[in-house]
Amino acid sequence: MSEQETNILVIGGGISGLTTATEAAEAGYTVTILEKEPFLGGRVSRMNKYFPKLCPPSCGLEINYRRVKLNDRISFLTLTEVEKISGQAGSYEVDVKLNPRYVNEKCTGCNACVEACPVEVPNDFNAGLDKRKAAYVRSEQSFPFQYVIDKAACKSDCGAKCREACKYGAVDLEMQAETVKIKAGAIALATGWKPYDAKKIDNLGFGTSPDIITNVMMERISSGNGPTQGKITRPSDGKEVKKVAFVQCAGSRDENHLAYCSAVCCLATLKQITYVREQYPDAEAYMFYIDIRTPGTAYERFFNNVKDDENVKLIKGKVAKVSADPATGDIIVEAEDILAGGKIKVQVDMCVLATGMQPTVSEMKLPSDIKINENGFAVIGKDRKGIYAVGCAKDPVDVAKSVQSATGAALKAIQTVGRLS
Amino acid sequence: MADATVVKPDLDFVKGVIAAGGESLKKCYQCATCTVVCNVTPDKNPFPRKEMVWAQWGLKEKFKGNPDVWLCHQCNDCSSYCPRGAKPGEVLGAIRKQTIKQYSAPGVLVDLVNNKKFWPLIVAVPAVLLAVLLSAAGTFGIPEGEVIFSKFASTHFIQFVFTPALIFGVAVGILGMKKFWADMKQANGVYSGDLKGSVTETLKEVAGHQKFKSCGVSADRFTSHFLVFYSFIALGIATALGVLYIDILGMESPFRLGYGTPVKLFGNIGAIALIAGILLMMNSRFKNAEKLGVGSYFDWLLIGIIGTVALSGFLAQLMRIAGVAPLAYPIYFIHLVFVFSLFIYLPFSKLAHIFYRGAAMCFLKYSGREAEQAVVQPEAKTEIPAASGPETGESAGEAGQAETKQE
Repeated sequence: MSEQETNILVIGGGISGLTTATEAAEAGYTVTILEKEPFLGGRVSRMNKYFPKLCPPSCGLEINYRRVKLNDRISFLTLTEVEKISGQAGSYEVDVKLNPRYVNEKCTGCNACVEACPVEVPNDFNAGLDKRKAAYVRSEQSFPFQYVIDKAACKSDCGAKCREACKYGAVDLEMQAETVKIKAGAIALATGWKPYDAKKIDNLGFGTSPDIITNVMMERISSGNGPTQGKITRPSDGKEVKKVAFVQCAGSRDENHLAYCSAVCCLATLKQITYVREQYPDAEAYMFYIDIRTPGTAYERFFNNVKDDENVKLIKGKVAKVSADPATGDIIVEAEDILAGGKIKVQVDMCVLATGMQPTVSEMKLPSDIKINENGFAVIGKDRKGIYAVGCAKDPVDVAKSVQSATGAALKAIQTVGRLS
Repeated sequence: MADATVVKPDLDFVKGVIAAGGESLKKCYQCATCTVVCNVTPDKNPFPRKEMVWAQWGLKEKFKGNPDVWLCHQCNDCSSYCPRGAKPGEVLGAIRKQTIKQYSAPGVLVDLVNNKKFWPLIVAVPAVLLAVLLSAAGTFGIPEGEVIFSKFASTHFIQFVFTPALIFGVAVGILGMKKFWADMKQANGVYSGDLKGSVTETLKEVAGHQKFKSCGVSADRFTSHFLVFYSFIALGIATALGVLYIDILGMESPFRLGYGTPVKLFGNIGAIALIAGILLMMNSRFKNAEKLGVGSYFDWLLIGIIGTVALSGFLAQLMRIAGVAPLAYPIYFIHLVFVFSLFIYLPFSKLAHIFYRGAAMCFLKYSGREAEQAVVQPEAKTEIPAASGPETGESAGEAGQAETKQE
């Protein structure tokens, strides 16, 4: 087993991990980032716009990638799995499994392997809305811009067409997984979140019609590098949407699913309403809510701007039934309009479920003394002073708060390293 | 906030609901999932979301003449989808108990009958009363010879004691129902309608158990209630036939197959169906106890009384046939005590739902509210059912406004 040494180990290469790493490295400490996927960027790389400024996250990610790339003190490993954490603050030892990429550093990004690849599988980057090849990069902004081969998707009889197509000898299907031991003074747990599985909310009809989608899918449909190049159309037939229902608290604030408020879905929906309204001046958006939670001046102002749009209907009352009309294929959402006092059924082209954030850390194998609270978020106790949870590993928070949390974690990690090394 | 509504909470009412099995009441955060998943609520001013906030706020007056708590069949679709574990099904059951007090006079009996502390009294009072009456008749004891229950309690004794008990129970219930009906008319501003047609439709609905059929998560409630309901009818027929055979045809009990066969058939089929229905009810309550609630004392008292009636009646018959006099007569006595309890507690126990749910279901048709269903809205201009129409739902409309102002 090979060994590496670093001051701070950051687990997770999304916005929280990238920020922790760059902040610590720019203060003079060595950092290693571990990312389980083949590319950095995490959830933010899948977003179309940030709220409330409505600017694209690709811009901030580009800056962060550059900070990583140009800083000798940062190294990163993709396709990794943390197998074991031992030791204590100042001298942790972490066993990391490196899964093979099957494409080496000779890759120039020419795309020949993709063209030669005969296999198509659902594209996880686009939330399964389209297909990708077994050889792929996520998008033109992928970092590292080095292709990867999803060997689990490969057909054994394809005769290694990708290897033959690669002029540079970059495809190496014989690569093996290996394990490295990384010694680190402090660890930042920036493992992020995943969307709650909407299929588990059986009354909201997810899976019964392609036009019942989640907010994460909506973000991909609206993104320029998404399956529709940013044109918002309904997945079943590509029809332009004239009426969209947004269903808040789809699985959040619900003890049958996620008992907590995911904190970002109200703003995410308001933001997505602006996507629809921008593309279709006559389209209508319905937002069904229990409470609209947009704390703070800037968020409140954003909410008020969306609310003032007369094509946006805010209805107090949680949607508890969603179904597809067999005749037209349209989606019918049912709620009680609490303020008016009656059950209503609204027929829409597309229904977006504002599903919440489930912490990835809730399903990870971690040392037993890293405690997980009843909602699945990491609680770092006093006994593990060198491990800090960051961003959505700790709380359901938006990008701005993740970045703040990352800066704080970088400082704490630096202090731990300075004190104990 | 010049137009603010001042709410006058009745805290005793809130405590009463909580004590009667609505412990989870305060967990409700008014998301209205319950209302949407409920298949038995009308679309206009639906329940149970509004009842939850009224009860939380102690708005006792809102429940005066409120048919909705009685339209609830406690299918518990609401509780199973409730994101907060607020158990609207249980809470509405507790509110129903509270409203029985308003209508079944004297209301204090509702509290006495449904108070856990007094349960020995609930059994002791009818037991002592019957023992005294039987002693006065000179038949209290275990008679010699072949087991014949009329030696213990003569046919005339049964008729003279049990008929007035039943008349008492039914009369109190009907008086309460009339008061409730008048209150419903007033509270909802409905003064005319098709009474005959509504009654006919309601009876048809009850006979077919249509409402229970639309229950989602506890579909077995249909089966259990259906069994209990029709077993009561079968047992009622058996009783009527008994009267016919003894008093009119001059036959003598005990009946058996070949001698008064119809009495035995109706009686035994009824008893078996009743036992099966009650067991099914108990089972479904235990099965979903955590999510839906195991039920309150109010529920279990009725289950206990009916269960004991069925079981003791069936066992008494077996003991009689087996000729075990020392067991047969005491079991028969228990049977009489519980049948008597069922009659006199009829308007004060959960069984009072016969009157109040019946009236509420009828009123729903009478007021025309049932027919006003939510239509799918394909158009831009959303027409939401009016909150407070001149003809119905006035009370609900006011609550809606109060909530708006509260925010």
